[in-house]
Amino acid sequence: MATGEQAYEEDALSDLESRRRQLGAGLLRGGAFAVALTMAPAAFAATQIVGAGSTFDYPFFSKAFYEYTAKHPDVTVNYQSIGSGGGIQQFTAKTVDFGASDVPMNAAELARTKAPVLQIPITLGGAGIAYNLPGIAKGMHLSREVIADIYLGKITKWNDPAIAKLNPGMKLPDMAITVVHRSDGSGTTYIFTDFLSHVSPEWKSKVGTNKDVQWPAPSSVGGKGNEGVAGLVKQTPGSIGYVELAYLLENDMAYALVQNKAGTYVYPTIGTVAAAAATKPNVSSQDFSIVDTACAQCYPISGYSWVLLYQKPQDAARGKLVKEIMTWLVTRAQPIAKTVDYVPLPDNVQKQGLNVLGEME
Amino acid sequence: MSATSAAALFRRRRLKSVLWIGACGIFATAVAVILLLIMGYIVREGISAISIPFLTRLPRPTGISGGGVANGIVGTLIIVGIAALMAFPVGVLVGTYVAVYGHRRMSQWLSFLADVLAGVPSIAIGIYAYTLLVEPFRHFSAFSASFAFAVLMIPLVIRATEGAISIVPRELREAATALGAPEARVVLKILVVAARPGIITGLLLSLARVTGETAPLLFTAFGSQYWELRPGQPMAELSLQIFTYAISPYADWHAQAWGGALILILAVFVLSVLARLSVLFGREGRGHGGTA
Repeated sequence: MATGEQAYEEDALSDLESRRRQLGAGLLRGGAFAVALTMAPAAFAATQIVGAGSTFDYPFFSKAFYEYTAKHPDVTVNYQSIGSGGGIQQFTAKTVDFGASDVPMNAAELARTKAPVLQIPITLGGAGIAYNLPGIAKGMHLSREVIADIYLGKITKWNDPAIAKLNPGMKLPDMAITVVHRSDGSGTTYIFTDFLSHVSPEWKSKVGTNKDVQWPAPSSVGGKGNEGVAGLVKQTPGSIGYVELAYLLENDMAYALVQNKAGTYVYPTIGTVAAAAATKPNVSSQDFSIVDTACAQCYPISGYSWVLLYQKPQDAARGKLVKEIMTWLVTRAQPIAKTVDYVPLPDNVQKQGLNVLGEME
Repeated sequence: MSATSAAALFRRRRLKSVLWIGACGIFATAVAVILLLIMGYIVREGISAISIPFLTRLPRPTGISGGGVANGIVGTLIIVGIAALMAFPVGVLVGTYVAVYGHRRMSQWLSFLADVLAGVPSIAIGIYAYTLLVEPFRHFSAFSASFAFAVLMIPLVIRATEGAISIVPRELREAATALGAPEARVVLKILVVAARPGIITGLLLSLARVTGETAPLLFTAFGSQYWELRPGQPMAELSLQIFTYAISPYADWHAQAWGGALILILAVFVLSVLARLSVLFGREGRGHGGTA
């Protein structure tokens, strides 16, 4: 390094100078890199369709779109699970090509879009009644009234005569029931409270149907998301909770046979949920409830998830592509649903979906 | 009489001292144990998910094995990197100004504003970035996430720079001024250079702070299952991917979420170690009087 004062001064100056030059070269290099990145579309020529919404739809969509891109390498569909509410919000703000929601948009939400909207049923789900009772892994029978009374806080013990009557021979413990529900607004809650409103006039007048309600049972605890409710039920002996079918099947949880309107007790399965859906071929975004249906094989706590589209997309070319993808998703992609524990749409509902898609320009 | 009371006083004081030091030890151990338990659990759950394909491949749907988080790792680096390019200059310059001209009303305001900004929840900053950079363009982008991260980082960098410069001995500044060095040179070649280890530590810690943030990304970077290197497009990010996988019902995705969490923890760990080392080596470097 420098020895004298003068030399130090010069050295410092040249040091500064060389660093300035280095910085310049660095910036130049960085700039070139950035330009290369922005020019990169040539390398990533695929058109990207963007969608957002329902967490419930994510596993099915991710698998379906994975297969779609495998067949059509020039198209990618980027769907992110930000929640049904977020999906409606982003769809309204037009930051996405399509939205997805577990409950169709209502009149107030539609008014905010200021443009005609098409809503298409895209997949089916069912809420199972999961429970945690030591020693009872299978075979719990629950009637519609008993489920309503448990959630109303009228039945508080597992050995209540009303439950014992439905399960003769089962050794029900003298254990308090902990009622688990969703703490976040959710489509699963909507379907479950819709079911309770159908089977219990008291529930209908006191609590009602919504994505989020005031839970009347004193022993209620809330969990965030299906994973939260499933986790709470798994950890809490004596608890009961409603959980989306796929979470029940993947987590080896005990869940009940639920009595339907026809009087039979059915497990939630891909078949019983589809049977409930098939009873209502004219499902639409105004009339979409399929809870408490009357056929013998119908699972009574079932519901649809919906895709939200603009009838007149702003970008015609992208709109055409979205229409193609959705046509495929509502028909030929349906068998994929089963591979991720989701329920494919029955044929008559697929047709109904195609009818609605036909209105898209 | 006075002798015995002095002895009693001494004993009482010693007892107090032993009790306090003991309490400090117990709580310090408790904190360390909690940290080790969390780290140990993440390592245990995550290590089996980590493999070469996991680090080099794109995500795959549940049930199809061999999915990875390569795009998430690269996306995190790009998003945090651009955020650093925005936050570092602003933060260091403002921090230097506040430290050097601390008596001016302007710097008192800046200092206060940095404190307020540091207290704003990250999700609020995410919404701000969304409103400013996503909604008007109707397009999610990695850049908007970088912007949100930069806003999160700036107050941290300001505070760290200010702190590092204000502990530079006053005599150094006075000596330089006395030798006739112009103010700019005093600040740039004496104060900032002497404070460099502290500033670098602050920069690294601000990086560690934002790496692993999820809330501001939901409505900005958005996420992606595909390769995306353009800052103007929706981009994958590791913590977003962990979030999506963790709330899913599937065991294979849960395992990948643990693997991703382990990678994030390691990245933050490395940043923290680098921050420590920069202080240590910085001290030695200053001892030898080198400028480079």
